[in-house]
Amino acid sequence: MTLWVAIGVLAVINFAIKAAGPALLGDRPLPPRVSLVVQSLAPALLAGLLIVALLGQGWREFDWRLLPGLTVIGVLWLLGRSQIVCIVAGVLVTVAVRALV
Amino acid sequence: MSRSVTPPEFGWRPGLRTGVGLGLAVFPVALSFGALATTLGWPPAATIICSVIVFSAGAQLALLTTLTAGSTLFLALGAATLINLRFLPMGIAVAGSLKGPAWKRALGAQTILDGSWAAAYQGAGRYDRLTMFGASAVQWPVWILGTVVGVVTAPPPTLVASLGLDLVFPGFFLVLLLDTFRSTPRAPWIAGIAILLTGGLLLVAPAGVAVLLSSLAALVILIDAELA
Repeated sequence: MTLWVAIGVLAVINFAIKAAGPALLGDRPLPPRVSLVVQSLAPALLAGLLIVALLGQGWREFDWRLLPGLTVIGVLWLLGRSQIVCIVAGVLVTVAVRALV
Repeated sequence: MSRSVTPPEFGWRPGLRTGVGLGLAVFPVALSFGALATTLGWPPAATIICSVIVFSAGAQLALLTTLTAGSTLFLALGAATLINLRFLPMGIAVAGSLKGPAWKRALGAQTILDGSWAAAYQGAGRYDRLTMFGASAVQWPVWILGTVVGVVTAPPPTLVASLGLDLVFPGFFLVLLLDTFRSTPRAPWIAGIAILLTGGLLLVAPAGVAVLLSSLAALVILIDAELA
């Protein structure tokens, strides 16, 4: 019973967290300084997500063999390749590195 | 930054295409959740329903691990909520890009997922809601299907690493982060501070809290504005 309650309550909380900003703020224009910060949220959160995906909590999931793949992704991005080409190349390099090391 | 590339596409179709790429990464994670939940004794129906109505890897894994470790309901929900609090600033960021009355915007906001939200970013604080809808529309059934397969087959967790699929999420975030360098003033500085902040926080705080607090790096833009 506790499990079902937990799942149900978590679903409601999750809904509320996602809905809060759009439902309360709507499309009202934000004050200029707030708008400036909101514009800057994307690089801040993306960098945070990248580091969490790479390191994991307590850095326990860090695997240096992902770094060559990420480097290839960065280089291909600089060369103007599409998102999917960058990712597929990175995955292939990671598989190759893991096969060698 | 000079770079000859066609501008990124936005809308339903590009969103669906992005969703397919993200689905490749989502599937093994969902599969792992299903397999782990089964191993730890969750009933199959509860595991699958959890994926259907919560649809959040971090929160579901937090709930699973804390509840099965003997935590109280309150603490388990607290851990899962902390992980999902990052959707609050993401929701604020997309608020101006969602249309219609409050209930419709609240429903649209349910498609906020890390990858979909990031793919929908058009620069200068604008987001394309159709891209976000499309990317999430693919990931939701994939997430449920992965959970079902995990519950039924319970494969070894090493499968994801051996296929290199654990690179998809960090790789995807890296590409999108680099894209913001072209569209957002001071993005490299903001990203650098966020990386240091998140890296340090991961040593002492849950991953969800670290991501949430990485958003504080966005405040750097205010200092820059003051100096200008």
